[in-house]
Amino acid sequence: MIDSIVEFQGVTKQFGDYRAVDNVSFEVKVGRIFGLLGPNGAGKTTSIRMLTSILKPDSGAIKVFGITAGPMTQSRLGYLPEERGLYKKMKVGEQLVYLARLRGLTRDDARKRIRYWLERFGAYDWIGQEVGELSKGMQQKIQFVATIAHDPGCLIFDEPFSGLDPINSEVLKEVILELRDSGKTIFFATHRMEQVEQLCDDIALFNKGKLILNGDLGQIRASYGQNSIHLRFAGDSRFLSGLKNVRINNRSTNFAEIRLLDGADDQAILQEAQKNVRVLGFELVQPSIQEIFIDSVSREVSQ
Amino acid sequence: MIQKEKLLLIIKREYLTRLKSKVFIISTILAPVVMILLLVLPALVVTMSGDRVRQFYVFDETGAVGQELVAADSVRYRLTDTVPDSLRQALIRGEIEGFLVIPHELLDGEGRALFFHGGTVGMTVTSRIRSDVQRTVRDIRLDRLDTPAEVRQVLADRVQTEHLTISAEGEETAHSEFYMVLGFIMGFIIYGAMFGYGAVIMRSVMEEKTSRIVEVIASAVRPFELLMGKVAGVALLGLTQFTIWAVSGAMLLAVAGPLISFFYTPATPETVNAAESAAEVAAFSIPPIGPMIWIGFVLFFLLGFLIYSALFAAVGSAVDQESDSQQLQIPIIMLIIVPIMFLMPVSDDPASTLSIVLSMVPFFAPILMPVRMAVLQIPFWQFGLTILLMILTFVVLIWLSARIYRTGILMYGKKATFRELLKWMREK
Repeated sequence: MIDSIVEFQGVTKQFGDYRAVDNVSFEVKVGRIFGLLGPNGAGKTTSIRMLTSILKPDSGAIKVFGITAGPMTQSRLGYLPEERGLYKKMKVGEQLVYLARLRGLTRDDARKRIRYWLERFGAYDWIGQEVGELSKGMQQKIQFVATIAHDPGCLIFDEPFSGLDPINSEVLKEVILELRDSGKTIFFATHRMEQVEQLCDDIALFNKGKLILNGDLGQIRASYGQNSIHLRFAGDSRFLSGLKNVRINNRSTNFAEIRLLDGADDQAILQEAQKNVRVLGFELVQPSIQEIFIDSVSREVSQ
Repeated sequence: MIQKEKLLLIIKREYLTRLKSKVFIISTILAPVVMILLLVLPALVVTMSGDRVRQFYVFDETGAVGQELVAADSVRYRLTDTVPDSLRQALIRGEIEGFLVIPHELLDGEGRALFFHGGTVGMTVTSRIRSDVQRTVRDIRLDRLDTPAEVRQVLADRVQTEHLTISAEGEETAHSEFYMVLGFIMGFIIYGAMFGYGAVIMRSVMEEKTSRIVEVIASAVRPFELLMGKVAGVALLGLTQFTIWAVSGAMLLAVAGPLISFFYTPATPETVNAAESAAEVAAFSIPPIGPMIWIGFVLFFLLGFLIYSALFAAVGSAVDQESDSQQLQIPIIMLIIVPIMFLMPVSDDPASTLSIVLSMVPFFAPILMPVRMAVLQIPFWQFGLTILLMILTFVVLIWLSARIYRTGILMYGKKATFRELLKWMREK
């Protein structure tokens, strides 16, 4: 039994003068949901393209199921790219069978699995329709079936929630958790960090091609301690700008996430808040992933 | 190392989805229809426009030529005593369509006949009148000299020269214009096919790119396999279409001659000429087309297609929209057009050094070699060497193209320049 499904060892990829991925190493353990996080341009998609053998790393090694990534490992991965796409003029059934067979399934196996998944998504009636005739939401479902139909051991989702309505997002979350519970390893990339908090077991934070933080999400958050405040209030929020030694995230008209920096006192902030607004909720919490990300980036910069 | 099963799957998809497409069905049916029209239409136009024969007045000072003209063709010619000045006025007023003035010295071999018309008379009619006057004056002069019938026969006889080729094996083949025309037709068909199928490849690459399916495919197969599968699938499609056309074309040639003769019922002297040309068209179906010509045609079509599709695929992968592709297509289009420009000189003198060299350049060979092969038997070394050169060119081009393709399919939103294409080729 191989413990790590995906392994990046000192991987670098350069486009001209631009270093998209810079000496990155990490591991993805079996049966975990692994989140590759970072803003746009951090190197997430390039990493995924190397993982799926669409691109070759300039240096370093990528192992999938213990084998160097290449044509042999491609069929053991399921990949949902950020930019979705299917053959518009091809029928749903034909297309799914074609894509599954390209990943090594026999025709009969492909048909069986596709039938199962289409029924699961309530999409079996569309099997004879051309993809171009379907609505965008329907196409998303078909693409999702195309990603998982060949029963790969590791699933790679690049921004899986983009373009999904709230209902389909929930369905997708459920399926992802279900796949994980059935022993699949899930690798996903997103820049929407709040979506990840509920899903990921492990994370890797990328910024400008570099891996800046990697590990078990729970442990990482615990190591930061309860140094953030969730403040709910009613009234004029301008006082927030006057607070010293804090960083304010997720600020809205009646909520703020306040990160305490060196020397800041939570009780002083509570008193200050009571002076200015009506406090509806005050809680000391672990920092959000976004806060952790910002913190890591700023530390990286100051070094 | 190519994964065969995957390649076969891709070829099958590329082939079958196109075979079932409307574009394929329509173009397959339409092309022979257009060919039939091109063959039959000129003949039909001649017969149709021959309906109305114009009448011209003849003012004759010789007292002999006019009578003979009218005797030979009373519909076209009509004698008149009206003086040329009045005829001129009548023509200006539009009352008559034209008139002939035959001066008396014409029978002495001097002077010239004058033909006036309102400017609406075409070349067929003027040349007809010229030959009528020529024949009539000649006959009258021969009559006056009491020329014996044998001499007239000698003058009327046409001497024919038959044009034959003797091959190294001593076989004789009758030559005719047919083979030159055949060469032209083949050259143009290949020319059209390279553009047509090249565009199919280019669009198909572009579609996969703009619909973003290509990233899903590239995560399952290597770009080179996808590209090869596409090229092979479309090549099969081309062969299928050509087979359909060749069969229907053979049938067409078998029926074209009789069909055209059927349209020309030589009722009036006017149509006798047309019937002759119909017989000529029918005679086109007679010369046999040797197997080497067919083999050459298919081989050069196939290799030409492969070479150019490699180029078109590279362009398709480098752009997002068809309109952006034009600049990158220019060099390819030039390469296809050059042999068309040399079509005439090459078929005129297919054994010249220029012809040999041009027809052996891999980019020009698909058009020029079949043209030469139709007209003469080319030495085997030229045939073999050209095929070899083309295969090598294809291998190099598809390799380079795959490198452009590999990078191009993942590039969105900007138009690549030639410099960037070169960079992509060099990338690891």
